[in-house]
Amino acid sequence: MLSLLKSLLRSAAILLLVSFATFCLMFGNGTGIARAILGYQATEADVQRKVVNLGLDRPLFVQFGDWLVNAVTGNLGESFFTGQTVTSALSTRVPVTLTLVILTLILTLILSVLLGVAAAVYGGWLDKVLQFVAVLGAAVPPFIIAIALVFMFAISIRLFPATGYVSPDRSFSGWILSVTLPVVALLIGSVASAASQFRGAVLDALSKDFVRTLRARGLKESHVIFRHVLRNAGGPGLTVLSLQTLGLLGGAIFVEQVMALPGMGQMANQSAQQGDVPMVMGTVVVTIIIVLSVNFLGDLANSVLNPKARTR
Amino acid sequence: MLTLGMTADIQGWDPGVQPSYQGWSADAVWDSLLRCDKTGKPEASLADKWEFSADQKTATLHLREGVKFSDGTPVDAAAVKTNAEYYATAGGASSRWAGITVTTPDTQTVAISWPAPNPLLALRMCESKIATPASIQGKKFDVPVGSGPYVLDVANTTRGSVYTFTKNDSFWDSSRFPYKKLVLKVLEDETAAVNALKTEQIDGTMVSSATLEEAKGAGENIQTLKGSSTTRLLITDHLGEKIPALGNLDVRKAMNMVFDRNAMSEKLYQGHASPAFQIFREGSDAYIPDMKDPYPFNVDEAKKLMEKAGYADGFTLQIPTMTGQNHETLMPYITQQLAQINIKVEQVALSGPNAIAELLSGKFPVPLWQLGNYGESLQDISDYVLKDGIWNVSHQPDANVDALWATVLSGSDTERKQAQQDLNKYVTEQAWFVPMAYMDRFYASNPKVDVQESSDFSGLHPLLRDFK
Repeated sequence: MLSLLKSLLRSAAILLLVSFATFCLMFGNGTGIARAILGYQATEADVQRKVVNLGLDRPLFVQFGDWLVNAVTGNLGESFFTGQTVTSALSTRVPVTLTLVILTLILTLILSVLLGVAAAVYGGWLDKVLQFVAVLGAAVPPFIIAIALVFMFAISIRLFPATGYVSPDRSFSGWILSVTLPVVALLIGSVASAASQFRGAVLDALSKDFVRTLRARGLKESHVIFRHVLRNAGGPGLTVLSLQTLGLLGGAIFVEQVMALPGMGQMANQSAQQGDVPMVMGTVVVTIIIVLSVNFLGDLANSVLNPKARTR
Repeated sequence: MLTLGMTADIQGWDPGVQPSYQGWSADAVWDSLLRCDKTGKPEASLADKWEFSADQKTATLHLREGVKFSDGTPVDAAAVKTNAEYYATAGGASSRWAGITVTTPDTQTVAISWPAPNPLLALRMCESKIATPASIQGKKFDVPVGSGPYVLDVANTTRGSVYTFTKNDSFWDSSRFPYKKLVLKVLEDETAAVNALKTEQIDGTMVSSATLEEAKGAGENIQTLKGSSTTRLLITDHLGEKIPALGNLDVRKAMNMVFDRNAMSEKLYQGHASPAFQIFREGSDAYIPDMKDPYPFNVDEAKKLMEKAGYADGFTLQIPTMTGQNHETLMPYITQQLAQINIKVEQVALSGPNAIAELLSGKFPVPLWQLGNYGESLQDISDYVLKDGIWNVSHQPDANVDALWATVLSGSDTERKQAQQDLNKYVTEQAWFVPMAYMDRFYASNPKVDVQESSDFSGLHPLLRDFK
């Protein structure tokens, strides 16, 4: 309970620090933001009026304090450019990105465990192929894979849509079709790296004395691998998986761009270029919450698998 | 259904801050007081009769009878007054509407007056987007309410991604918009846009020369918009206040002589451009058809001019660069050619929210930009030549320009056209610009959609009414 509380406090501190750092980075000067909103034709007086209207003429700490107080009550403000509330923008953007990340994480977990165990246990050509694919998967960025997939499966063979996202409440089959290529684009690199981590951890566990003892007791090999070896190897693998969440969110930005998916990545990219402070802050806060939650869940799963981890 | 790709998201639904570039969403929901053709000449729209005063200060508009906003309220003189007064302070268009006064002699007549003669009254009327007074007074810009050919379908719209519109059958010119449904998709990445076009997810999008062949190869129709943009250096520090050398005509001439415009068109633009010797669009009033190359490519001659001016050792010039402006292709050539006369170019990358403010601040007196040319050259003169022009970033006075502009303001039609050509001649002789190439722009569309011409007076893309 105490460790849980400590973990939550640590997460809150990280959230606060990163939010403040982002706010400082985005702060820039109010005149530039107002000019970007109003465009080339605006007069200087209008620009100055806009600066005051948006409260951008106030000291940095005052602005951040206001933002923080509102954010705690769930009000993340409105876009400087479109007037849309940040929560409303996030309500359409977050599901898209989360869909990509969660589906990719689940599939990565299943595939990387299977591939990692198979490569470690059987070795030989399977192991060599996995290592080759791992290097290749890590070397080729997801957006290049996305471009290739779109060319192959959306343009040459029109199996999937080239762009866009369909919400599952509109059409379930449309949703499956719209997320397949982006998820596969993210999955290749993610599986490649996680599977080789699982492979290494399984190999390590296989060399331990307890495995020899279990085998000597005549336990079935599948029982030894899936009950005991995997439990020991699961910790490092899960840690890698939770760390990958950040990489997946980063990869999603580019995949969303290439396939025109209306996710958080696209919103963050566009808002940051414009200097749309409330929108950027909204995406940053949600991103940190996602990353911290996944890491927290990773720690939790690790402690379930490995009792030693609970005592730390 | 007509589905178009947009390379950038819209900036929300404030009628006072609407860009004309890819402004299909605004054209869908709002109607304008007048409608301009591709040369900037006005046609009837919300106003079916109009007159501009002889002193070019006042536009008097007689509004079409019986027109209503989509919420059922009438489009009357009071509504137009509210809109016009809002533009004067809204921001985006405020410098163009600053200081106006509006009178409404009756419910269907409105007179909008500028404090000084304004030869661009027609363009201002065409740019206006008339929204309901209620939305403007309450600053409620969540959902646009206008009297345009389409109505926003909020339920099928996701901001930043897809905007869906249904046809407004009570629109006064409904037959000109044959599509029952209009969908605008935000596709910022050009590869994504071309992929969407090839797989018929969209019916049309802007394409650059980089993806032109791919779109052609996929059997798309290509509309080439010629001469609507000129690549140019804008030498705005004519008085040499920031960089003394720029105040010397010989230096400005020398800067013009180090660029091989034919080679640029062929090599840098891969044949998708033609050499430019002036900054105005062919066919516009200021354009001089028989103008020969006033500064033929001649590096030796340019060096002599620099020597004569006392700047044989050159000087340093900071030129701002921004992504999406083709600077990565242009800047190496510009840098190399100016170096031949010992002008050292330092590139200053501008990005983020301050970029536009810095660009227009005058801190960099010689921007390099691919700027549009209007069908109405008065707008070019207003933006690029006049002292307060937004792109004349150093804003330095010039008595000759003022005198010629005075003729534009008070002369007859013939005198006005002549004054524009004289202005063109003057800025060319004074080498205020280094025009290099008229770059082609391309609009790619599904062959099933009929879009034969672009009636946009900026010449940058087809308008909604061009899709048949």
